[in-house]
Amino acid sequence: MLKGVHQNLETQQTPAFFVRGASAFSRMVFFCALSITIMAIDSRLNYLSQVRQAFIAALHPLEVVANAPGAWYRDTKKYFSAHNKLVQENYILKQQAFEHQVALQRFNTIQAENEHLRGLLNGNIPNQPKGMLGEISHMGRDPFTHIVVVNRGNQHNIKAGLAVVDSKGVIGQVTRVYPFTSEVTLITDKELSIPIQIERNQLRAIAFGGGNNTLDIPYLPTNVDIKVGDKLVTSGIDGVYPAGLAVATVTKIEQNPESPFAKIISTPVAEVTNHLQLLLLDLPDAREAEIKLTSETPETKDREVKKEKLNLNKPNIKTNTKPNTMPKVNANAPH
Amino acid sequence: MRHTSLVSVYISLIIALLCQLFPWVGQSVIFRPDFMLVVTLYWLLRAPHLCNVGTACFVGLLVDLATGSLLGQHALSFCFTAYVALSYQRRLVLFNKGQLLAYVLILLLIERVLILLLKLFTGNENPGLVYLLPIISGLLLWQLMIFIFGGLTRPKTSTS
Repeated sequence: MLKGVHQNLETQQTPAFFVRGASAFSRMVFFCALSITIMAIDSRLNYLSQVRQAFIAALHPLEVVANAPGAWYRDTKKYFSAHNKLVQENYILKQQAFEHQVALQRFNTIQAENEHLRGLLNGNIPNQPKGMLGEISHMGRDPFTHIVVVNRGNQHNIKAGLAVVDSKGVIGQVTRVYPFTSEVTLITDKELSIPIQIERNQLRAIAFGGGNNTLDIPYLPTNVDIKVGDKLVTSGIDGVYPAGLAVATVTKIEQNPESPFAKIISTPVAEVTNHLQLLLLDLPDAREAEIKLTSETPETKDREVKKEKLNLNKPNIKTNTKPNTMPKVNANAPH
Repeated sequence: MRHTSLVSVYISLIIALLCQLFPWVGQSVIFRPDFMLVVTLYWLLRAPHLCNVGTACFVGLLVDLATGSLLGQHALSFCFTAYVALSYQRRLVLFNKGQLLAYVLILLLIERVLILLLKLFTGNENPGLVYLLPIISGLLLWQLMIFIFGGLTRPKTSTS
């Protein structure tokens, strides 16, 4: 009886004269060492991004298969959605479009006026960021990281570092690009920071991701002029996020008597869980700099980069603080 | 029935990978069991000559690539869990069903805690007790595996 039971479980360690391979312990030591090495390489050096890309590309068919049921469900749901609901939606959308059109008319004249004025003052005309529509294919597979995967990748000219927004506000930044998809890290991730401005009083600061769907604004004194309910918008200083996009609203301000800094917590306004569509914004400045770089000889590259950086930073900062000094700065720069 | 072929191991692993890749909607992603780990543990305990620590490491790497986490994180924790699983593998015949389930629970717990430690080292925030929920769903999946592929403790048909 016992013998029979033993036959059923295939033996793992055979006696020494039937040597089959290394013992479990030595295997464990070897593979643990291997994975620690891989971890070190992946976190400190950049050799493995190619491997990752190739793997994700190879995995794409499997991913399509896994996504298929969800896509079918959504499609059939769309197909059978009630007629009056569609009519209602259409009506609302038409109304919205009309309102936007009216607003745009004013915007166009103001933009033209702004360009004209800047031209008069010999200033740089800020480029309009171009956007590309993407769709969230799934939230990250690991629920404890702040990542969203979007169905645009290398093939659609997506680059790491692009800003991502939805109709309500900033979502985050593209951090990894694969051939057909790309990973967007949300602004609530601890590794991401975003330069912001309080809409009410133009106070500039930097917000850091705080996890758990919050943003932190550290290093501000306790007497800083921020109230609960203040809206945070991007300041546009970094050259990644265009200025004036909504980021978050302040939800809580804690003052700890032991700390010289206020603890300001805010919640992002973008609704990642509710919408599928989002916009990947191009970096107009970086793109231009790149084009310039490729046409230059290697010796002048460094200088050009520095110049570009200076030019990038100047108009943003100056226009935000004191627009009166702008013409002088820009007129002197080329000489 | 007891004879296990390499094909069934790999097919079940591929199906587990598919389940892992499936886009889980909303909050259900928190309850999602660790498909690859449970399937690997099952084959590890059942047929260690087909599926050993090396396989566990490789499967962990696949999970790392699929989830986009730091490469080697899951590999390391799967390796160690596989080692712990194998160290008691030959005593499994003496376990009854409840004991085996407790054993698997401990294995899943070890893996979760290892991953959590590695994540805390790389700077993630503490996710709280919700992080341990996949262990429960993992146990359910384990029961499903036993239902599909047969138990490990007391086989009904003993060949003498």
